[in-house]
Amino acid sequence: MSQATPDTPSRTGLELRKADIAFGARRGLHGIDLRVAAGERMALLGPSGVGKTSILRAIAGLDPLLDGEVLVNGVDVSRIAPERRSVVYLHQTPTLFPHLSVQDNIGFPMEVRGATRRDARRRADALLARVRMTKFASRMPASLSGGQRHRVALARALAADPAVLLLDEPFAALDPALRAEVRDAVFAMLDEVSGPAVIVVTHDIDEAAALADAIAVLLDGAVAQHATPTVVLTRPASLAVARFLGLPNIVDGVVDGAGAFVSDLGVFAARCAPGPAALVSRADAVRVAVHTNHASRADGDRTDGEPAMVRTGVVRRVQQCLGGALVRVQLGAHHVTATISDGESPSVGDLVAVHIDPTRVHVVPVDATRTSDHRRV
Amino acid sequence: MITSPSAITERHSRSGTPASRPLLVGLAFVSLSPVLLLALRATGAAWRYPAILPSQRGVDALIAGLRGPTLVQALGTSVLLAAMTGVLGTAFGFVAGRALVRATASVRRFAAVAAFLPVVAPPIALGVGVQVLALRAGVGGGLTGVLLAHLVPAAGYLTLYFLGVLGAYDLSMEDEARTLGATPWQCFIRVTLPTLRPRLIEALLLGALVSWGQLALTLLVGGGVVRTLPVELLAFVRAGDDRLGAAAAIVLTILPALALSMLQRGAKRTGAVT
Repeated sequence: MSQATPDTPSRTGLELRKADIAFGARRGLHGIDLRVAAGERMALLGPSGVGKTSILRAIAGLDPLLDGEVLVNGVDVSRIAPERRSVVYLHQTPTLFPHLSVQDNIGFPMEVRGATRRDARRRADALLARVRMTKFASRMPASLSGGQRHRVALARALAADPAVLLLDEPFAALDPALRAEVRDAVFAMLDEVSGPAVIVVTHDIDEAAALADAIAVLLDGAVAQHATPTVVLTRPASLAVARFLGLPNIVDGVVDGAGAFVSDLGVFAARCAPGPAALVSRADAVRVAVHTNHASRADGDRTDGEPAMVRTGVVRRVQQCLGGALVRVQLGAHHVTATISDGESPSVGDLVAVHIDPTRVHVVPVDATRTSDHRRV
Repeated sequence: MITSPSAITERHSRSGTPASRPLLVGLAFVSLSPVLLLALRATGAAWRYPAILPSQRGVDALIAGLRGPTLVQALGTSVLLAAMTGVLGTAFGFVAGRALVRATASVRRFAAVAAFLPVVAPPIALGVGVQVLALRAGVGGGLTGVLLAHLVPAAGYLTLYFLGVLGAYDLSMEDEARTLGATPWQCFIRVTLPTLRPRLIEALLLGALVSWGQLALTLLVGGGVVRTLPVELLAFVRAGDDRLGAAAAIVLTILPALALSMLQRGAKRTGAVT
C-alpha cells in the first residue's frame, strides 16, 4: 500500500473495498465496492431507504464501518477520525453555523487546522469571490436565501481542500427553478477546482446522467451496477436496475440456446445466458408514425443500416413532457412507450407504425428468485 | 365604515379582544398585588388593623435589617447554592440530554419518566427521601448535602429541558464540522456551545431558580444549619418580624424577576437559535 497520507495525497481518489455498513440497527449493506478517481464525479442512485446516506456517512467516518476498508488517495482511513480523513460531507440542507458570518463560516475549516483568523478570512474572501458572493461576507447565514446557502456551504467545503467531497442529495430541498440554477453554479465551481473525488447522492436520474462521470446504482443492499451514465441508461445490468431507472419498455421473453431473445414482439439479439429474460429500452428506442405507410420515414431516422422492427399498434395515451410528447401504444398484449416521428401528431385510437430499433434495446436475464424481477408491465 | 380584516387583526394584536381585557387586568392584579403589599409592609414602620395603609413610613430600620449579618449571609448562601445548582444541573442535563437524544426511543421514554419523577414529587416528600440519602452519605446538615438535594429536582427539570432542546437541535451541523476538520473538542467549543448559548443561559437560570425558592429540601437536609433566604424569611415570619420578612420576600422575588427579564431582552435581541 502507498505510504501517502490523506494530507500528502497521491491523488488516486476514493476506494471503498468490500465494505459492510450498518444500516439502522442491522448490517444492511454487504461487500460494497466503489472507486471514484480524483477529479471524477460519481452519482449514487438508489431507492429511498436503501442506504445511500449510510455509505456516505461511513466513508466520512461519521458512522462505523463493520468490515472492509475506505481508502483515500491510497491510504486506509477506516479507523481514522472524521477530521483527519480529508473527506468532507455536505448534508442535504446546508448547515451553516448560525453564529458565524458567511466569511467566518468559510474560514472555519482553516481556523480549526491552525490558520490565524486573518489568513482564514483572506482565503475565505478568495473563495467568496469564486462563488460570486463577496458582498455577502459579513452577512449572517439566517439572512441568506437557499441558493446562497448552498454556494457558501460548497465554498466552505472547498476551503477544507478535501480529497473526497460527499454531497448528500444537495439540491433536493430546492424548488425546481432554483435547483437548476444552484446545481449549475455548484458544478461549474467544481469544474474550476482540480480535484476532489465527488460522490453525489441523488434521486434524479437525469441529473445524475448530466453531471456525473459514472453512476452506481444501489439496490437491495448491494451495488447493482457501476458504469458510465450511457451504459447504465441503455444497458442496465438487471431487470431490477431497469425498473429502478424507470425504463418505460419492459417486455418479457426467453433467450434460446442460439442467443436469440424471443418474445411476442419479435426476435432480438441477446448477450445473456439462455432462460427467462426481458427486453428493456428507453422511449427513444421506439418511434411511431401515424400511418403505417409512413414506416419509411421513421425508419429513415436510423443510421446504422440495421432494419428496424416494425409493428402496428393503437395509441392508448398521449403524454406531454418537457422533452416532447410520448405515446403509449398497445401492441397485442403489450404496451410500449415511444417517441413520435418528426411532423407526426398521433391521437388516442390512431393506428400507428411502431419502429423498434434493435440496436437500442437491451435484453436482461430475469432472476427467478427475485420477486422484484417478476412484476409485469 | 368597513374595517379591513388586517386592521382588525392589528388592533386585536395590540390590545387583545375586548373580552380579554378584564382577564388581563385580573391577571395583573393577582400577580402584582402581593408584591405591592410586600413593598408597603417592608417600608411601613407600623401597619395596624384596620388601617388601609401603614401609618408610619420609613426605610431606615429596613436598611439596617437588610445590612445585618443574618440576611446578607442568607443571601450569599442562596446565591451560591443557586449558582452551583444552575451550573451543575445544566452540565448534568446537557450531558444526559445529548446521550438520550441519540438513544433508542424506549430508553428515551424510560429516561423521561425517571427525570419527571423528582419534578412532580412534592418537595416535602422528595426531601424525606433525600434526607435519608444525605445522612447516609455523611453530608446531611451541610452545604454539600443541600446542594445535592437541590440538584435532584434541578437535574430532572434540566434533563427534560435538554431533551426538548437537543431533540430540535440539528446534529448534522456537528457532523459537518467534524468532516471540515474540527476535533470533538473544537466542535463543542466552536459550534455546539455558541449555537446553544441562549438555551444554556436559560438552563442556568432555570436550575438556579429551582434552588432559589427551595425551602422544604433545604430545611430537611440542611437541618436548620444551612440558612438560605427562604429559611430566614420563614424565621422572620415565625418570629413576628413581618417587616424584615416582607423585605426578604421582595429580595427573593426581585432577583429572579430581573434575571428573567434580562434573559427575555437578550432573546429578543439575538433571536432564538435551535
